[in-house]
Amino acid sequence: MFEARLVASATFKKILDAVKDLLTEASFDCSESGIQLQAMDNSHISLVSLMLRSDGFDKYRCDRSLTMGMNLANMAKIFKCANNDDTVTIKAQDDADVVTFMFEAKKQEKISDYEMKLMNLDQEHLGIPETDFSCVIRMPSTEFARICRDLSQFGESIVISCTKEGVKFSSGGDIGTANVKLAQTNNFDKEEECVTIEMQEPVTLTFACQYLNSFTKATPLAAQVQLSMSDNVPLVVEYQIPDLGHLRFYLAPKIEEDEN
Amino acid sequence: MGILGLSKLLADLAPQAIKEGEIKHYFGRKVAIDASMCLYQFLIAVRNETGQLTSVDGETTSHLLGTFYRTIRLIENGIKPVYVFDGKPPDLKSAELNKRQERREEAQKALDKATELGDVTEIDRFNRRLVKVTRNHADEAKQLLTLMGVPYVEAPCEAEAQCAAMVKAGLVYATATEDMDALTFGSNILLRHLTFSEARKMPVQEIHLDKVLQGLELDQGAFVDLCILLGCDYTESIRGIGPKRAIELIKKHKSIDEVLKNIDANKYPAPQEWNYEGARRLFYDPEVMEATNIELKWNDPDEEGMVKFLCGDKQFNEERVRNGVKKLLKSRGSSVQGRLDGFFTVLSTTPAKRKADDKKQTPNKKKKGNAGGGRGRGRPK
Repeated sequence: MFEARLVASATFKKILDAVKDLLTEASFDCSESGIQLQAMDNSHISLVSLMLRSDGFDKYRCDRSLTMGMNLANMAKIFKCANNDDTVTIKAQDDADVVTFMFEAKKQEKISDYEMKLMNLDQEHLGIPETDFSCVIRMPSTEFARICRDLSQFGESIVISCTKEGVKFSSGGDIGTANVKLAQTNNFDKEEECVTIEMQEPVTLTFACQYLNSFTKATPLAAQVQLSMSDNVPLVVEYQIPDLGHLRFYLAPKIEEDEN
Repeated sequence: MGILGLSKLLADLAPQAIKEGEIKHYFGRKVAIDASMCLYQFLIAVRNETGQLTSVDGETTSHLLGTFYRTIRLIENGIKPVYVFDGKPPDLKSAELNKRQERREEAQKALDKATELGDVTEIDRFNRRLVKVTRNHADEAKQLLTLMGVPYVEAPCEAEAQCAAMVKAGLVYATATEDMDALTFGSNILLRHLTFSEARKMPVQEIHLDKVLQGLELDQGAFVDLCILLGCDYTESIRGIGPKRAIELIKKHKSIDEVLKNIDANKYPAPQEWNYEGARRLFYDPEVMEATNIELKWNDPDEEGMVKFLCGDKQFNEERVRNGVKKLLKSRGSSVQGRLDGFFTVLSTTPAKRKADDKKQTPNKKKKGNAGGGRGRGRPK
């Protein structure tokens, strides 16, 4: 028996919005510690890693670990049927082939049940090595979304270069070039608006706009976003979901073609 | 023409080995393309109302047009193609080639008759059957590829075998052909429909040999024997044994030698002087060029050279050729998107659960449930 209850069903909506561009279907691994999802997009360029800790739920019960393969578009359809302030309960029997979503309206005068067929997915679990990143940048998530959106008008890829002075996003194409520089903020009054940079050594990497723009769909989940970079390893874009867990995106960098 | 009925057998018995995807998922991959198969496709498919496209002298140019546009499409999608051309056919193939020749003669006769009657659709039909890739076609294609900066390999013998050797050596990611032979020769990954026209909207099929073997519960040796039983180009098969019997027999007896000992020779007579051992040897140890001797290099296209070669006599539109070159240059210039595969290691693959249930289903149901790329049942309709 699996049961998880979350008062803020809107969080689920936001998570689905954030990942459904990249994934059409995914396996949710439910265990005692929480709900986990890890999946690469079809072309193996990006990876979505979601962790929702069991203690973040209002009620959580998982007798036996289970994996639920779900079609995310259909799941999004179901969550569209819920109001933002509804409470959601996700239920599944052990070894079931359906999952039930129950939405309760705030005043409890309306309860709706949606049952969805599960899918039989075979998915690869990837071991993600712990990396000490050369640069870790924290910035307001809306700012990051804005920069990605603006720069993607100029070219297909964005160069992110991080130095002691700050972080520079640049892009270029037929119409010209675009550069956005952010320096560390000295004002720590409002934590949410800070730009902080932890740097061991400078890094410059190139990424596809299309993917960065997909990642920024997660902006409503968190006020701050964290970008971690090292030479020749994937970029990690992390959104902390308050009191519940995190949503991380990994993106393989673009590489200069070697001459052979 | 590959292995008789193998693709259908795989769809039924090892659906998890076949994945369907879009061409753009293969960006950055090096792919060995069976050139003879491709040229043949182009000669058949690239036509206008009056038949094949020709130069002023009436020489066919369909293969060049196909090679030109489809190669550009592959490169635009970030794929690095290597074309592999057939060398001399193996001796064992002569019977098959003779048969093809006979069929061609028949088609020629039918064509003459249709021409006499003036039946246009019939003329077209038999004309297509008469299509043959000649040495001249191949040489022209090679010349074009060189101008486009795309490498090609001349196999000493069968192209599929050479492709397989290159995949095995890690020189390329996969073999792209329609012939299922490539699996028998040991290509780990086979891509089908890669060089099809975009207009057909055919998804690219990716077939993994290891999953094929897993699904059929065979090892490579038994798989080769299965392919020979199904019917390959190099020797005959036993009359009366179709795909279903073949897989049953091989599963039970593991090899053709054992199968022969155990079946009723009167009911299923083996062909006389059946050289299945020869065919087996050919699949195991085909004549190929050592992968270490192959150097693959993608160069910048030679724009003027291409214009000179394609326009003029061959009647290509100069503007289109130059546009094509621009596309090639653009794809070369930009940096390549990396993949995550190299960075992360696969820890485990969640086995498709509820496998036991699958077996309980009736065969009919199973086929239906697995039709959608083999992702299994329970897919929301």
